[in-house]
Amino acid sequence: MKNLYLILFVSILIIGCDNNLDIEPTDSLTPETLLEDPDNLDRLLLGAYSFADDQYAGEFQTVSELLANESNLAYRGTFAQFFEFERKEVITTNVFIRLLWANAYRSINLCNIVLENLELAQDPDQRAQLEGEAKFMRGLLYFEMVRYFALPYEAAGNNTQPGLPIIFDAVTDLSQISYPARASLEEVYTQLISDLQVANALLPPDNGFRADAYAAQAMLARVYLQQGNYAAARDAAHEVLENSGHFLVPDLASAFNNENDGIEDIFAWQVTTQDGVNDFNTYWATIEFGGRSQTADVTVEAPFFDLFTEPDDRSGFFYLGNGTTVSSKWQGQFANAPYIRVAEMHLIRAESNFREGTNLGLAPETEINALRARSNANPIIGLTLQDILEERQRELAFEGHRFHDAKRLLETIDGLPYDAPNLVMPIPQDDIDTNPNLEQNPGYNN
Amino acid sequence: MDKSIRYALIFTLLLFGKSALAQSRTISGTVKDSFYRPLFGVNILVEGTNQGTITDLSGFYQIQLTSGEALIFSYVGFNSQRIVIGSNSTIDVTLQPGNNLEEVIVVGYGTSTREELTDNIASLRAEQIKEIPVPSVQGALVGKAAGVQVTQTGGRAESGFKIRVRGVATINGDQEPLYVIDGIPIDKVDRSANSSPINSLVGLNPEDIASIEILKDASAAAIYGSRGTNGVVLITTKSGSSGETRFSFRSSYGLSEASNKLEWLNTNEYVELYTEAALNSGFTEDDAAFFFNLFSENEEDWRNGEVDTDWQDLALVSGSIHDISFSASGGDEKTTFFLSTGYNRTEGIIRGNSLERYSLRANIDHRANEWLTIGLNSNASKTQISRIANDNEFANPIGAIAQIPFSKPYLEDGITPNTETTLYYNFLMDQFNGDHKSNVWRAFMKLYGEVAFTKNFNFRSELGYDYNNQLEERFYGSLTEYASTNGFADALSFINEKYVINNYFNYQHFGNDWQLEATLGMSYEENKFKSLSIEGQDFPSDQLRKLDSAGEITGGFTSETAFSFVSYFARASATLFNNWLLKASVRVDGSSRFGSEVKYGTFPAASIGWLASEAPFLKDNKTLSNLKLRASWGLTGNANIGNFASRTQFVTRNYNQNPGFWLAALGDPNLSWEETKQVNFGLDLGFINNRVNTSMDYYIKDTEGALFLVPIPYTNGIRFVNQNAADIVNTGFEFTLDTKNIITEDFSWSTSLNIAINNNEVKALPDGADIVREEKIVREGEPVASFYIPEYAGVDPDNGDALFYRNTELPDGSLDRTTTADFAEASRRILGNPFPNVIAGMTNNLQYKGIDFSFVFQGQWGAQFYNAGGIYQSSNADFFDNQTRDQLNRWQQQGDITNVPQARLFGGNGTQQSSRYLEDADFIRLRNLTLGYTLPKDVSENLGLDRIRVYFTGVNLLIFTDFKGWDPESTWDFRQRNSLFSGTGFYSPPQARTYTLGFNVDF
Repeated sequence: MKNLYLILFVSILIIGCDNNLDIEPTDSLTPETLLEDPDNLDRLLLGAYSFADDQYAGEFQTVSELLANESNLAYRGTFAQFFEFERKEVITTNVFIRLLWANAYRSINLCNIVLENLELAQDPDQRAQLEGEAKFMRGLLYFEMVRYFALPYEAAGNNTQPGLPIIFDAVTDLSQISYPARASLEEVYTQLISDLQVANALLPPDNGFRADAYAAQAMLARVYLQQGNYAAARDAAHEVLENSGHFLVPDLASAFNNENDGIEDIFAWQVTTQDGVNDFNTYWATIEFGGRSQTADVTVEAPFFDLFTEPDDRSGFFYLGNGTTVSSKWQGQFANAPYIRVAEMHLIRAESNFREGTNLGLAPETEINALRARSNANPIIGLTLQDILEERQRELAFEGHRFHDAKRLLETIDGLPYDAPNLVMPIPQDDIDTNPNLEQNPGYNN
Repeated sequence: MDKSIRYALIFTLLLFGKSALAQSRTISGTVKDSFYRPLFGVNILVEGTNQGTITDLSGFYQIQLTSGEALIFSYVGFNSQRIVIGSNSTIDVTLQPGNNLEEVIVVGYGTSTREELTDNIASLRAEQIKEIPVPSVQGALVGKAAGVQVTQTGGRAESGFKIRVRGVATINGDQEPLYVIDGIPIDKVDRSANSSPINSLVGLNPEDIASIEILKDASAAAIYGSRGTNGVVLITTKSGSSGETRFSFRSSYGLSEASNKLEWLNTNEYVELYTEAALNSGFTEDDAAFFFNLFSENEEDWRNGEVDTDWQDLALVSGSIHDISFSASGGDEKTTFFLSTGYNRTEGIIRGNSLERYSLRANIDHRANEWLTIGLNSNASKTQISRIANDNEFANPIGAIAQIPFSKPYLEDGITPNTETTLYYNFLMDQFNGDHKSNVWRAFMKLYGEVAFTKNFNFRSELGYDYNNQLEERFYGSLTEYASTNGFADALSFINEKYVINNYFNYQHFGNDWQLEATLGMSYEENKFKSLSIEGQDFPSDQLRKLDSAGEITGGFTSETAFSFVSYFARASATLFNNWLLKASVRVDGSSRFGSEVKYGTFPAASIGWLASEAPFLKDNKTLSNLKLRASWGLTGNANIGNFASRTQFVTRNYNQNPGFWLAALGDPNLSWEETKQVNFGLDLGFINNRVNTSMDYYIKDTEGALFLVPIPYTNGIRFVNQNAADIVNTGFEFTLDTKNIITEDFSWSTSLNIAINNNEVKALPDGADIVREEKIVREGEPVASFYIPEYAGVDPDNGDALFYRNTELPDGSLDRTTTADFAEASRRILGNPFPNVIAGMTNNLQYKGIDFSFVFQGQWGAQFYNAGGIYQSSNADFFDNQTRDQLNRWQQQGDITNVPQARLFGGNGTQQSSRYLEDADFIRLRNLTLGYTLPKDVSENLGLDRIRVYFTGVNLLIFTDFKGWDPESTWDFRQRNSLFSGTGFYSPPQARTYTLGFNVDF
């Protein structure tokens, strides 16, 4: 009898165990749950901003400066793969190039998810803003990428050279995976301009730290300049300068190292002590200010100062590293990373006016001298195009423009012609290995 | 002990007369083996009668006597024992094995014996793993079991071990075996804050272990179903036996050092090489001097060689190991116990690394009445670790070898580390002005009850609890890399709790020439993990190192994850005609980890064995004392696929302190365990009364649906999809040979040799497409994770350029073997694989009177090793990192024949990742050597002690290899979980060489 009870008891133990195989994660949402709430679309955009922040809060400006470098800068850091940029011998497995590509498409997918689900947002203002920001971000990312991964845009050509895969469809499910080929350069530019134009039309004039209508307009000015479409560049820059409410701060130092966007910042990448990393600071500041090394990884060398023949605040905006010269633009470890400053809009409008022979807004000479005055530099009398281009180098030094300017101006870099294969970055080997439809750029074999 | 037997004899004699008059009386007791494990089915016969009984599952017997003066205890293969009946009504017996066939083997939810076994199980006894001075038990397994590769990740005291049973059967899934302690699967996930693993068994005192079984083939491991593929390591801790309480005290102290150091340039050599490199790259001597001055305090330091720092010596220091343990075991007829406490202090061979462990154990078994046995196994430990940065960080002490020899390690005061003129951040500062401590609190608990319904039908219920709590705290002061924020600190704490319930029935039946054993049961397991982290900066003082002093809290999180398993299992084994052995088992596993479409999996197994030596035609053969043929088949799984890997997941990522979302994982609802079919054929042979024993096993381990992060184009916005995508086959052959070479009264010598050959091959991939990641490829027909890199072709004698083979495929299918100096023109080829084809171990034990001597060799062949740090360490002065001394053989002038290209500062001359940094990793190591002396019995007894032993042990004393790096077994810690990155090192420290003296006292 006793045994019978026991058998009953243990049988209960065996079958009575809680069969709990359904455990839900506590830190992630499925697409179904995520897309129940329209506010989550806005959060997907913040995700997209955050990945873009990884590349454009200083890292790719640094890459751009090293690619353009002849002797103005020295790379003293320890990342072997940064040396590849400095030597113009980038290999297909370069990790920075891989992240440039991977994170851009990561953000683009988040934007595409937003665009595919806009109908979730009932409020038309919210919907407009979501669409505007998603397209701003997508346009910006295609523009950033295409300048590295494709042969230069030829103002006179039909630009059929391979551009980038253009992706419109969101991927949230295995069945949506695609193996796209590269669209032509012209198609990429058409798409990104269209994105930025829609963004410009839909976004509000002021949008806090996020992209507003003028950030999109300013991006367009940049794009048109790169295309050599000076009239459009001039008009876009003019529009920004007239209406955005942003203007030059009175002194050079105030334009940089700001923890909140300054009045000169049309768009900046946000950095806080908790998220975002200011990579300008990482690579261009000494360890004392949050950089990677005693000397700063990227230092400014004597030939740079040949740009300055007269007193100019910008020639003294430096400090000493361990026997090296370091730019003062990037001393703030937790400062936002400027992306489009008003100064750039002035330079674009002045250059475009000059090339077009117009005086929209301001005469080029007046505009350039106004900019110079902020740095206590003497005015230039009898302004030439060369003066404007040099002014660009003085004002926008170490901000990532030099490489792209050299390409649009058809200049040689370190003895290489502007369209040399070595100056076009390889499509990351990972995607060449996984996507048979993807064509590698010339000069990259393995 | 002898004494008590003598007393027992005297009593017996005194009581002889009385017992003849005695009425019926009851004698009871427990029969155990020498490892204190109860023996089931021991035959007990009253001498001179046909009256008898057998022991039950807990080794207990009870017999009614009316006459007789002695009991005969016999058990297959154990030496029979005759015990004279005294006045005691309790007689506990420990049987000694007659030969190794009767060794009891733990098999998971039960035991078996070597003779009955039809599976491939490696079994190690306490004797085989004791006295090896490593803080973690896995270190004692090296070279001991055929087909089991045990590798320490590196030389850190707390560092993790990799155990690979019969090759690698996965790509991205976990490759570690399942660890089961006293029947309870334990948490084995490494959760170190800095990616350098902390051994998950660090809290277990090796002295508490009675035996370790490694279930290798599917038939053995299938009882653990979806978690059996990587093998199962069953650890059984010691228990007590009734009788006099025995005490044991062990203490050892040892010194350790790095088992290898490399040669680096000194100041003069550095200046010579780098001046040349600068000139070759178009710099002037003044430029070179400018560079050198950046890294030296005074010009004389480099110009006259006044400073010549050996940075390697600053990083690799001498360490020590101190180990003390104390145990007591004993009990009476109802209750037995084993109590122990241990202390280990290991000062690592890497500056700043140390470990301290305190452990307590109590194992208690109690017979409540004739049908109920209850017991408790409990273990609590605390481990404190002073940690160092992982291999990938600049603060990794090993990274210091990159520093320039004329940079001073310390400032003028000789105490403050110099961070002003060093090339890289000086790791000494992290230790001078910071802290990195980890505390691990671990408790293993098991409570069990066993009910005997009848003598051979019982039920056992086990409740297990594994508590793993870790707190890792780091502080970086105002002089460290965090100077710009006035210091930085973070703390990471986690708690992992695992509950396990096992309920199972055991049934045994003994016929005349057959026996049957059956097990049926279920198991439920739930694992919950919670973590908490906080970080902050801006500390008012370097003395205030806790986060309550931080001016700003800059981050923090809590997180939680869980998984569960519900399992049902059944096993039956039978012995027929005393020579046929049959076994079959099945397990059904359900898990929260599996995709919604595939919640449950079934894992059957079967095996058969034939004891030919028991058959009539061989039974009396004197030469061939054992001949057994075995065959097994089974299905196992690997369920270590991540807790929510089957789901599409959006997780948060902040921007400007606002929460954003991103797509972190693209799920596959069909995702499930990896499934492995394994066939094993084995042959056991014993000669000359089993003085020579040998086993041979051949296996095919066929894994389908190996879990794999299948890369997809980045253009999809996500890089990987977790899928059961690859098929992998491991085939292999294992050979063991145990010989008792010499046995005389005074001298004995035995040898144990194991050799395992394994061939690993990827059988199928999705669409047959190659998967390439960094320097690795997964390709059909090749071993998993083969090295896939451009092939270095040496140096152009004309100009010193590094050359690479083009290796592009020509129209006729052959390779273009011409060379090029343009790296971009060189195609990648498979040039090696990280897994050895052959691993072997050999143990010799010699004993002469009280002196014992043993040594273990271990070796591996056929694997390659890639030094990912080579592009910095041996780069013909490409950058300022100090170079290995072989770089002095650089090309200097036309006609020079060398393998080191011309030195070119910033020149990128051959410094890309290529086969230049790939090497063969074959080696033979003298893993362990022990020389001991046990004092003669009369000496120890005069001291009132049972046994005194003193010994010397050395670990990693010698290595025979052509490998040029620190250690062919030390791989990069921060990536060791992913088999794709196997066989690659990156500033990974060598293992320790240890010399230890110790003594044991039993009383």
